[in-house]
Amino acid sequence: MDAIAAFLTVFTDLELLLLVAVGTFAGVYIGAIPGLSVTMAVSILISFTFSWDVYPAIALMIGIFMGGVYGGSRTAILLNIPGAPSAIATAMDGYPMARRGEAGTAIGITTVMSFFGGFIGILVLAVAAPLVSDFALSFQPRDYMLLALLGILLVGSLSGESLVKGIFAGALGIAIGAVGMDPLTFTERFTFDQPLLRQGVSFIAVMIGMFGVSEALAQLHHVDTPAIRQKITRIVPSFGTIRRHLPLSLQTSTIGVVIGALPGTGGDIAALLAYDHARRVTKKPERPFGQGAIEGLVAPETANNAAVGGAFIPMMTLGIPGDAVTAIMIGALFIHGLNPGPMLMIDRPEMFWFVVGALVAANFFMLLFGLTGIRLFTRIVEMPRAVLIPLILLLSIVGAYAVNNSITDVYWMLGFGLLGYFMRLYGWPLGPVILGVILSRLFDDNWRRAIISVREDFGRFFWGILTSPLSLALFTAVVLIFLSQTPLWGWAKARLFGRGAEDAP
Amino acid sequence: MSRNDHDPFPEEAPADPHPHARPDRHPGEAAFSVLMVLASLVLLWEAYGISGFEALSAPGTVPMATTAVMAVCAAIVMLRTFRLPRAEGEGFWKVVLPRPVIVVALLLVGYALLLRPLGFLPTSLLFLVIAVKYLSRRGWGFTLAVSAGSLLAIYLVFRIVFTVLMPPGIVPEGEMIQFFRDLIPGRAG
Amino acid sequence: MKNAFLGAVSALIVSASVAAAQDYPAKEIQGIIQWGAGGSTDTVMRAVTPHAEKVLGATVVLQNVTGGVGAIALNQVAAAEADGYTLLMGAENPLLYKVMGLGDKDYSDFTPINLLARGTPILVAGKDAPFDDYAGMMEHIRANPGEVRFGSTGPGGLPSVVTAMIQAVEGELDVTFVPYDGDGPALTALQGGAIDVMPAVLGASIEGIRAGTMKPLALFDVTPAEALPEVPTVTSFNEGYAAYLPWGPFFGIFVRNGTPEDAVAKLTAAYAEAAQQPEFLDLLRNRGFTLMNISGDEARAFLADWQRKTAWLMHDAGLTKASPEDFGIARPGE
Repeated sequence: MDAIAAFLTVFTDLELLLLVAVGTFAGVYIGAIPGLSVTMAVSILISFTFSWDVYPAIALMIGIFMGGVYGGSRTAILLNIPGAPSAIATAMDGYPMARRGEAGTAIGITTVMSFFGGFIGILVLAVAAPLVSDFALSFQPRDYMLLALLGILLVGSLSGESLVKGIFAGALGIAIGAVGMDPLTFTERFTFDQPLLRQGVSFIAVMIGMFGVSEALAQLHHVDTPAIRQKITRIVPSFGTIRRHLPLSLQTSTIGVVIGALPGTGGDIAALLAYDHARRVTKKPERPFGQGAIEGLVAPETANNAAVGGAFIPMMTLGIPGDAVTAIMIGALFIHGLNPGPMLMIDRPEMFWFVVGALVAANFFMLLFGLTGIRLFTRIVEMPRAVLIPLILLLSIVGAYAVNNSITDVYWMLGFGLLGYFMRLYGWPLGPVILGVILSRLFDDNWRRAIISVREDFGRFFWGILTSPLSLALFTAVVLIFLSQTPLWGWAKARLFGRGAEDAP
Repeated sequence: MSRNDHDPFPEEAPADPHPHARPDRHPGEAAFSVLMVLASLVLLWEAYGISGFEALSAPGTVPMATTAVMAVCAAIVMLRTFRLPRAEGEGFWKVVLPRPVIVVALLLVGYALLLRPLGFLPTSLLFLVIAVKYLSRRGWGFTLAVSAGSLLAIYLVFRIVFTVLMPPGIVPEGEMIQFFRDLIPGRAG
Repeated sequence: MKNAFLGAVSALIVSASVAAAQDYPAKEIQGIIQWGAGGSTDTVMRAVTPHAEKVLGATVVLQNVTGGVGAIALNQVAAAEADGYTLLMGAENPLLYKVMGLGDKDYSDFTPINLLARGTPILVAGKDAPFDDYAGMMEHIRANPGEVRFGSTGPGGLPSVVTAMIQAVEGELDVTFVPYDGDGPALTALQGGAIDVMPAVLGASIEGIRAGTMKPLALFDVTPAEALPEVPTVTSFNEGYAAYLPWGPFFGIFVRNGTPEDAVAKLTAAYAEAAQQPEFLDLLRNRGFTLMNISGDEARAFLADWQRKTAWLMHDAGLTKASPEDFGIARPGE
């Protein structure tokens, strides 16, 4: 009964409810602006809410978190600039829809599906948190490495016209992710003896440059053509549409919760893996992926919002952050005199149920704010390009600077913008570069940990994979997906089923 | 089909569900592919320099593997690109670098150089005014209003709300903000 | 890059800052935190600064500038004007930059405003580890060479110093070091069984120990900790450690050398008062840190002593890139 009372706290106290609403509203816009991140907003709030009670402070932070993860999809769809890393996959199919004048539809589906994913995440948090956190904790370095490998195989889905160019781009991304002082050994990598390069290349700077600046430069080819008129006829998707994508969204939400609960991986990786999953299981999308497939919106958006609930799982049960935002929230709890850790659930169970309640409220507000004000948002893309493009560029510069208060990041961003422009022009895909940067450290660090743990003994390494059910499952998935991207697969399929692989791309 | 389409960034998303590699190459495409091969080789050499073939767990192992993959892929792409015929009737300056792209790219370089000495506010205003004026060819009133208005909005959000300290340069904005803060009673801290 | 125009501009800035110095603080102060959001340094700095803001009557804008083991932040503050408007909020790492080859600057280029608190190292093991205390661990390591996995956070981090201490006292340690990029991720790995033993700071492991998700082996101090009185000190197992202890990481706030005395005095007073606030003391206690709250010559002496002890310990363990002697850091006791 105490649990229910704690759960309802946020709904019965008008002030708390209002704070969640304000937070969610702000979060949508913070998420939508590239360079403003939820992480940043929440750490500023720590000082800002310093003298408050813990409930209002957490309520505001949760609102921003939920709204921010969703908000990234806005700019991804409208401008092809993901407002947050977790919206990268959303841009793949959302932006083509906006180019057809269907931005309203895309935003509508994104909103409803984010709500759905968020809800699944909260549900898992509420009913199975200890179970999931035990599972998440059991991931060994080799499992993280296999997970990263699984993500890297996504290059096949993101490559477009040429797989070779895609692999190049992915490898480039991994190399970019390695630039700077290696955090494990403090060895300098790809720094060319320049102190400036020691801090590495900010991944957000690469993202803003490759997506934002290069897109803006490409649009200059059409600076005088009037912008595409957006038809805002149907925003809320029909019940039929939602029902048709229900199985997929359940699967991708599950991916989101688990990846979100893993310490060290968050909504960005969840969204990308979910996107890949959707490409694989969707037999007949209404439109091909990459050109405005609804499934390509459903998958990442359910997954990244489900990852929010997921990230709270290890935080609330063990005091271990599930991602960067929950890491800061743990700090906030400390400052407010709580001791997040395994004992929090036992000493202060009401805190857990309060968080669940605030998440539910934030999820509803997200749906509300998401479905209203779309007209205003789509106006942005209908602005004349001669004004929009300089604004995008300025925003990209400020955004890249804001991530780490570093001018170097601005230079990187501009450099990658130019590189991205030429890569686009000559048909080299950009998606795999970002994928590589995101997964670089996850792969590299955990590969090294895994192989060090077995004292560089390959035999023991594989024995470890074969004897752990989790590792074996991940390993099998890696092998199967890898084979499915080679010609061998079609051949084996033809042999097994006695007919040609009908839909070999 | 794309053979006669000289527009590298078509306005509409392509109708063809399976994008094929183009049958010809854009101007500069071959040079770009050579550049990618060279860059990969430089990076490979740099990666080798990190720790050589010291151990599987060395910090340079993964960088070496990835840059080797880059070099091989870039080489394949380069060979394929050279085999393609040059697209007919495509001028480098029209297809690859039309004038607006060059102008804006130069503006960006100028921005990067001026940002630190001049400061965020003047540099950004200059950038917006020149870019909007050049691209829109509208009157000065429109240009100035749009530039100043949007810069103010960006400044308020990033500087005041999110306390991102952009390089102040010649504008003593720290003192200015403190001045306005002092005007608000009851908020000494 | 410099030209006449810039000269004129910087003259303007200088005159502005001269005017400002008379009435410090005349604008908001920038606090550069060496480590990422959510880490211990970040939490401590964000907890103490609001109190100091009240005393100063100015806003301190906190920014996390990460990378290069904190060297990026240090160099950024070193490159800023010495006007008291840029604070470095850091941990102990810079004192080892020189010997580790990570940079040519350390806290000797800075004036300590306040050394807020220090942490105590503790050796913890996973709850399924086949040993229950320090003595059992040493026995297990000797019986199973190379099999015990220690978490580490790179050369110069707390685990490497504690390990160097163990090797100085007990002799060569045949264990496998698995690198992590911070004690948070390493302690997570410890609970998941990816590593067996982790030298961590007490505050990071205190909740896990209370809940029984990790086992305390020994506290690296000469007296037991107030928060966990039942954990034995490492000196109770081997007296040899007394030569190196107490030792621990610390947090401090610094400004560049050459900052006007008026600004230093005002900042010092503000942070000294802020560090005494009950909420801050509670936070330190909960996280297992010991309040220091020292400044001026006392702080300088602490820093010099810390650097001597640690640099030589690391050098004797063969973990440094250059001898402390090269930088005029004398061996302790000489």
